[in-house]
Amino acid sequence: MGTAFFELRGISKYFAKVIANQDVSFSIQRGEVLALLGENGAGKSTIMKILYGLYKADEGNFFKDGKEIKIASPKEAMELGISMIQQHFSLVPAHTVTENIILGNVRGIIDHKLFREEIKRLAELYGFELNPNDYIRDLAVGVQQKVEILKALYQKTNLLIMDEPTAVLTPQEAENLMGFVRDFTAQGNSVIFITHKLKEVMSVADRIIVMRAGRVYGDIKRAETNELELSKLMIGRDLKWVTKDDRQESLDQEVRLEIQHVTLQEKTGVPALKDISLTLHKGEILGIAGVSGNGQQELCEIVCGAILPTKGRVLLDGEDITERKIRARIDLGIGYVPADRSSDGMIMDMSIAENMLLKSSYDKKWQKRGFIDKKKLNQYALQEIGEYSIKAPSPETIARGLSGGNQQKVVLAREVDNGEKVIVFDQPTRGLDLGAVNHIHQVILQERAKGKSVLLVSTELSEIFALSDRIAILYKGEIQGVFNSAELTTAKIGLLMAGFREGEVSNDAG
Amino acid sequence: MIYLLSATIMMGTPLLFGALAEVIAERTGMMVTAIEGIFLMGAWAGFVGGYLSGSLTVGFLAAMLAGLLVAGLYGWICIYLKQHQVVTGVAINLLVVGLCSFLYRVIFGVPITPLTINPLATIPIPLLSEIPLIGQILFNQNILTYIIYVLAPLSYFMLYKTSIGLTIRSAGENPEAVDVAGINVLRVRFLTVLLAGVMGGVAGAFYSIGFLGMFTTNIIGGRGWIAFAICFLGNWNPKGAVIGTLAFGFAEAIAIYMQSIGNSAFFPNELFIALPYIMTIVLTISRKSFSVPAKLGVPYVKEN
Repeated sequence: MGTAFFELRGISKYFAKVIANQDVSFSIQRGEVLALLGENGAGKSTIMKILYGLYKADEGNFFKDGKEIKIASPKEAMELGISMIQQHFSLVPAHTVTENIILGNVRGIIDHKLFREEIKRLAELYGFELNPNDYIRDLAVGVQQKVEILKALYQKTNLLIMDEPTAVLTPQEAENLMGFVRDFTAQGNSVIFITHKLKEVMSVADRIIVMRAGRVYGDIKRAETNELELSKLMIGRDLKWVTKDDRQESLDQEVRLEIQHVTLQEKTGVPALKDISLTLHKGEILGIAGVSGNGQQELCEIVCGAILPTKGRVLLDGEDITERKIRARIDLGIGYVPADRSSDGMIMDMSIAENMLLKSSYDKKWQKRGFIDKKKLNQYALQEIGEYSIKAPSPETIARGLSGGNQQKVVLAREVDNGEKVIVFDQPTRGLDLGAVNHIHQVILQERAKGKSVLLVSTELSEIFALSDRIAILYKGEIQGVFNSAELTTAKIGLLMAGFREGEVSNDAG
Repeated sequence: MIYLLSATIMMGTPLLFGALAEVIAERTGMMVTAIEGIFLMGAWAGFVGGYLSGSLTVGFLAAMLAGLLVAGLYGWICIYLKQHQVVTGVAINLLVVGLCSFLYRVIFGVPITPLTINPLATIPIPLLSEIPLIGQILFNQNILTYIIYVLAPLSYFMLYKTSIGLTIRSAGENPEAVDVAGINVLRVRFLTVLLAGVMGGVAGAFYSIGFLGMFTTNIIGGRGWIAFAICFLGNWNPKGAVIGTLAFGFAEAIAIYMQSIGNSAFFPNELFIALPYIMTIVLTISRKSFSVPAKLGVPYVKEN
């Protein structure tokens, strides 16, 4: 091994009093694929944002080809050949592909035609199918990512940093991306990708940096390690994962919730949901798989009553509840854990106890002479805090101060109580660390064992497979098929998620 | 009729200065809610500068500087201190009202008859102004009118055909994309707010030394807000701003005309004076689809 292409030495970063990174050192060689592995909040994104000049390091030095360099802004990073694709893409939805790619790379009067041609050529060179005139808002996430990559290539980057690049992709799209990574590095360029997926790491990385709590806990060649060792380094302890063996087969086959021919027309005229029919039995977990933004949220909101379908009916225990208001459905026993807890699930500036009261505040049981019975509420909250092992000093703790996992547990505790019959989970573990994920999975299985029906929306296939009795695949608002989970393989479900129909998916894929 | 149309163009001039200033700034995400105060400060400084020096040019330069200072204060508070744009704007507008009447009295005392100066003269353009009808309406205006109708297409070209325009538009849609592209978002926003201040200062001075030849503290009377509304109604586009300006200029021209002929047999004068304001409300409600810059009014804070 010669001199490292880029090297980080002793980088530390503090946000207020919180340590984001401490004494982080590692290097990357030319032509190498480096994986930065760690749980949410381990400091992976922060260290990369420092390398890209978005944040300023409080301590430490950078080197390129052995010479010390300073990176004070993304502009300086780009001049050194570093590009970074953010987890939430930094594209302007209202602008075209071309305008997005040339932003910050042009001076003076723009010759749109010239740039269009140039970008078209570049896209063809890498085999990307892209129309430079398309508006970003009209493109699928997978295509948007290609625009981000093109932006980096346009800047003639040598070190490409990608933050959780496969989070929004179908398995096939992810495979294509990995293909690009191999081609790109074969030309002597380097790639760092940030991830928490062990599988991905094992398939594409040459070397792995494991981070935990802002520090580096491992710097290992892929060939010299395995998933078990990596997961231990990442979490710092052993976890027992839920598997299908942990539960009994569902005995009760009585139908609980029925969705009949539900269609939802958007204002734009495009249907968000097209003729959806699903049945959910007692004591069953129905997984809804699909790339995010294919109608999952709309489906959940129709079940819990936040939106009315244009056509079709929703039945609970044989009773038509299509026209029932949200509050009536809560009383009927439908709980809903929304995907975005900070905007739809809780009020961040209120306490844990108040958040637990949120959806049943009108209930007489919380009242005492017309006022909220604080004592009773706090007692209840305290009990829930214990039951769900929420890490918080008291029921009066403000929700904002909790970690993401603990916030989610608060929502979970409330909705499990609300949902006496049906609980809708929309991406219940997104963005959480593995410990919290594990806990939430156990809760879901416990509720199933109690005979509750669960609608589980997730973009993580591992989650869908680990929990679901049956799996429905949603693509562009349509059900691609409903399967017993044993019938499906990752490859097959991936094709269904990408829009292929059951008949078109050959058995070879299985 | 010729008088009305000619007055439409003239009364539209300061509104277009203000509306274009607002369009450019709002495209970066900055609502310049201090526009009313910027207008007023410009009117004040224009009059003081013009009266004391005897030169309207000095007056307009003073107005630009005054607009720049007010905008600078607004920009500093909203962009660098990340305060709420509406609240800050309202506070500054109130501050300017007090400041102007105070400083006017400090300098001139309380004159028995209002102080006046000769306002900006019209400059008939040779040949063109002699075209029947059109010549009177379009080519017999003052210098500022000619300038703004050159600036309007220029600002359109700047926004849509240059790299600066692309940066400006991106900053209002997704500032993070601009930041990641290595451009300082805060600086882009601050500079456009300063530009808006300079243009708004000129607009304000138009009322005091371009048209009336005097200064009173209610000289602007909400016209800054009208310019603000034109930006919305014009869909954040210089083309739309020109159209909106002409509509409002016409409403003002009617108001002035009706006042001058004193015809109040059927309608009270106040109705015509209120016309531009009524129009603002009616048009704002009736406008259906907007392409609002996605991050309009949202301070840019790097997440950590």
